[in-house]
Amino acid sequence: MLRPFVLHRPRTAEEACALLARLGEDAAPYAGGTELLLLMKLGLLRPRHLVDVKRVAGFDDIADGVRLSIGAGVTHRTVERSAAVQARCPLMASVARHVGNVRVRNVGTVGGNLAFADPHSDLATLFLALDASVELVSPRGRRELTLAEFVRGPWETARAADELLTSVRLTPWPASTAAAFVKFGVHERPTLGIAVALRLDGSGTGRARVVDARIAIGCVNPCPARAPGAEARLSGVALAELEDVAGEAAALAAASADTADDLYGSADYKREMVAVFVRRALRAAAARARGVAPVAGFPHTIVA
Amino acid sequence: MSRRAPLRVVGQPVPRVDAVEKVTGRARYVTDLVLPGMAHAKILRSPYAHARVRRVDTARAGARPGVIAALSGADLTWCDPYFGPAFRDRPVLAIDVARYEGEPVAAVAAVDELTAAEALDLIDVDYEPLPAVSTLEEALAPGAPLVHTGEPLAGHFADLATLRPQPGTNVCHRFQWARGEAAAALAGADLVLEDTFRFPPVQHYAMEPHAALAAWDETGALTVWAGTQNPYSVRVELAKMFGVPLGRIRIVVPHLGGGFGSKTYAKLEPLTAALARATGRPVRLAASAAEAFQTVRRCSARVSVRVGLRRDGTLVGVTCDADYDVGAYADIGPRVVQKGTYTATGPYRVPHVALDARAVYTNTTPGGAFRGFGVPQLAWALESLLDVAADRLGRDPVDLRRQNLLAHGEEFAPGDTPIDGKLEESLGHAAQAIGWTQTGAADRGRGVAAMLKASVAPSVSEAIVRLHADGSVAVLASAVEMGQGTRTVLAQIAAEVLAVPVARVTAVPPDTAITPYDQTTSSSRSTTMTGRAVQMAAEDVREQLFRVAAEHLGVPARELALADGAVVAAAGRLAYPEVLAIRFGMSGGELIGRGVVAPGRTAAPLGGSTPFWEMAAGAAEVSVDEETGAVRVERYVSVADVGRAVNPLLLEGQDEGGVVQGLGHTLLEEMVYEEGHLLNGTLLAYRVPRADDVPRALECRFVENADGSGPFGAKGAGEGSLIPVSPAVANALARLTGVRLRDLPLTPERVWRALRARGSR
Repeated sequence: MLRPFVLHRPRTAEEACALLARLGEDAAPYAGGTELLLLMKLGLLRPRHLVDVKRVAGFDDIADGVRLSIGAGVTHRTVERSAAVQARCPLMASVARHVGNVRVRNVGTVGGNLAFADPHSDLATLFLALDASVELVSPRGRRELTLAEFVRGPWETARAADELLTSVRLTPWPASTAAAFVKFGVHERPTLGIAVALRLDGSGTGRARVVDARIAIGCVNPCPARAPGAEARLSGVALAELEDVAGEAAALAAASADTADDLYGSADYKREMVAVFVRRALRAAAARARGVAPVAGFPHTIVA
Repeated sequence: MSRRAPLRVVGQPVPRVDAVEKVTGRARYVTDLVLPGMAHAKILRSPYAHARVRRVDTARAGARPGVIAALSGADLTWCDPYFGPAFRDRPVLAIDVARYEGEPVAAVAAVDELTAAEALDLIDVDYEPLPAVSTLEEALAPGAPLVHTGEPLAGHFADLATLRPQPGTNVCHRFQWARGEAAAALAGADLVLEDTFRFPPVQHYAMEPHAALAAWDETGALTVWAGTQNPYSVRVELAKMFGVPLGRIRIVVPHLGGGFGSKTYAKLEPLTAALARATGRPVRLAASAAEAFQTVRRCSARVSVRVGLRRDGTLVGVTCDADYDVGAYADIGPRVVQKGTYTATGPYRVPHVALDARAVYTNTTPGGAFRGFGVPQLAWALESLLDVAADRLGRDPVDLRRQNLLAHGEEFAPGDTPIDGKLEESLGHAAQAIGWTQTGAADRGRGVAAMLKASVAPSVSEAIVRLHADGSVAVLASAVEMGQGTRTVLAQIAAEVLAVPVARVTAVPPDTAITPYDQTTSSSRSTTMTGRAVQMAAEDVREQLFRVAAEHLGVPARELALADGAVVAAAGRLAYPEVLAIRFGMSGGELIGRGVVAPGRTAAPLGGSTPFWEMAAGAAEVSVDEETGAVRVERYVSVADVGRAVNPLLLEGQDEGGVVQGLGHTLLEEMVYEEGHLLNGTLLAYRVPRADDVPRALECRFVENADGSGPFGAKGAGEGSLIPVSPAVANALARLTGVRLRDLPLTPERVWRALRARGSR
């Protein structure tokens, strides 16, 4: 059961960092609590101090400028409903609609999700594909890290104990970008998540060509990982020919995956599923680029 | 005259009588109960699958402010610390040895739950880890570490009193049964098929975890408010434990948030009562959902079946070797094995049968009763193999089954209860509803399966019906309301007999000090057995009304009838309050009716051992994502032979729940152990069906021929819908893909592997 703790409610990031610095190992930053409290209830974590960052000024802001910035304290539900997010990065809004379950979405936050670094995180996979970075603040100042720099392994990030994740930032790709996020699995957390984003040139639907591709694989690796071989294979491919190349790209992605046996499945099965779902994600992205809504239709599968 | 009148209340979709209190959150469960001075308990559980418990030091915990008592097994010298329905092999707290991960080793009662939980951290236990067995193979291997070494005490069932574990092995109980000459029959059969099937350990996951509240009073009497399906069994256990007469122990059962067998027989009640005794205070123990995984589960099984058929499809012989993993303590496992195996041949006519089953101890959570009681494990094997047989013989699976079904009135086995339903109707309806003979979509497959299950026997139920001075009615019976709707059904039965609206009837919650003996709320028996007792008790009241009115009106009782809360005769009408005023000479007093259903005096028209047979058929239509192996049940039809649906609304709900629970072990659920360590003991990793797993088309229908031994021709239901689900789904998958799965659940990876082994077609 949940053991007692002291709840701190700083109003500024500086206060929060000072608390974290002072309390050290005894403290944990706390936002939605959807991951942290589960582990505390199970007795796996027992911080004596929680530093609630929800009241920190600016943490629940979504700033829409050249870059889109999502405050660490913004809930998944708010992301889903944000007009700015829907307009600038519709895939992010769509993924937010399918994170966890409805209770998680209503209180869980973007920053909490990333900072927890569960290998099954939808957002880490998504943001990796979207070239996002995170901003961290500490008494030593501010720094910005790419997602790949930030997430170091299962439940492990580059965040120092007295550092606070303040926001996620990304420069949205053009509206014509073909993108999709697909996840698969029967458990509460997905077995596999795949994010693809294809920047296209040529406005004519028939002539559009991939100029830049991102494929991120989540859940099966120790932490979300890009599939550079598959991305390279897709570069320059005409949208109309994507279907022919998808299988090859999917195989490259699967070959790059570092899968292991666990409760979610055997390593070979998960590797094969990477291929299946990269193919499906590419197909869904291509369909969107043609103005067709991708059909999910597959059991235990969500297409966002 | 009107005793043959059409039914007024029975057969109607009466909304459940406790619906409003439940949906408004006012229904009270054990954890809603608070007594003055009540302490809260927490359990320290073994982190090892198997370990010698060398020493438990509770001194620091006991000294913590707010802690009232801290107990270990060694402290329980003032009571009999063992319990269990089949064998008394389960200590209240581990004594010398912990036999599974999660076994209670010590417990603390404190002023609040937090203090109790924190005190657990202060208990020092010196464990010496021992080699463990966590699978049937490990447990049955020569020289395997033994889960139990001594001989356990007998439990409280006379029919199980002769059971003995096999010394020097992990075999807790062996059951062998034969009729005819199975070996010879199989030798002479045109087609013999043999295969081995596996059924996983699964968790009931009742929404409400186990809970109990115990209090001893100043006279030395014990009251326990318990979330239990059988208060009278719990009472026996506690009486033995504490050496207290049955009459001084009172078990009260508030609402249950689901049972499914997980709350049969004593679970947390012995520990709670011991803590209450040790503290001299009321003690409440409320387990978590994760602790349910450490309390009881379904017995997993490995089942090898051989079936022999003639070329024309006639079944001539069946042999079945079944090993059930009953975990670390017997619980009711031996009876699960015995009863399940006895009906291994399902609803079919099989002249030559040889059955050999073992209940095997392992170092895992004890296996016990779970909806289906041993039958789902065997139906999974037999019903799968029958489809293989149909395929090999070039026969339609529905026709092959129909050809071999036991007929109405035919003895299941010589001397046993004749079949009291028409399964051919259920099977026919299920096949028709799924569109069996119509061409389906190419990407869909259809499958069927059938089941037959005996209810518990012998089986005793008693009931009291009280007609009050204002004409309202109280039903006193000990069938437990656990969501299935028994309070509503019992009220309907009394309302029917006594010609009053259901709203005028109150079904009193079970309380062994008030409501009379009922064996158990399980085995699909309550409507049939408790309901019959209520019907008899209401009829007893009716006869008393007739006697008083007949004398008063000067007409023979046979010319009287009940209607609209009154005794009616050609000459006139006496409302119940008037009848009671005549009987007692004042507006007080009540008529008390009594009903008893017991072996030798059952209402069963067909006689025999089980009071009724539960029978059902299921038909599934599935699709599969061949690239991932994910199976989706698109449509499902369940048809149960229920004699009469006393309340079709509740029955439909119960059977829908059964199908969905069946989909759990069919597609999703399995407790995964690795060297005795449960890897998925929380709902984050253990997946129960959700609303979005329910087939888009799910139909639950009933066959009603009023041929049951229960009230108004009803018979048991509620387990039957679950049992055909796995084989129906697997048969559908096999017909769609050509792939035959033998291990449940049919996870995407298992199906994918099988599809890959098959190759492309």
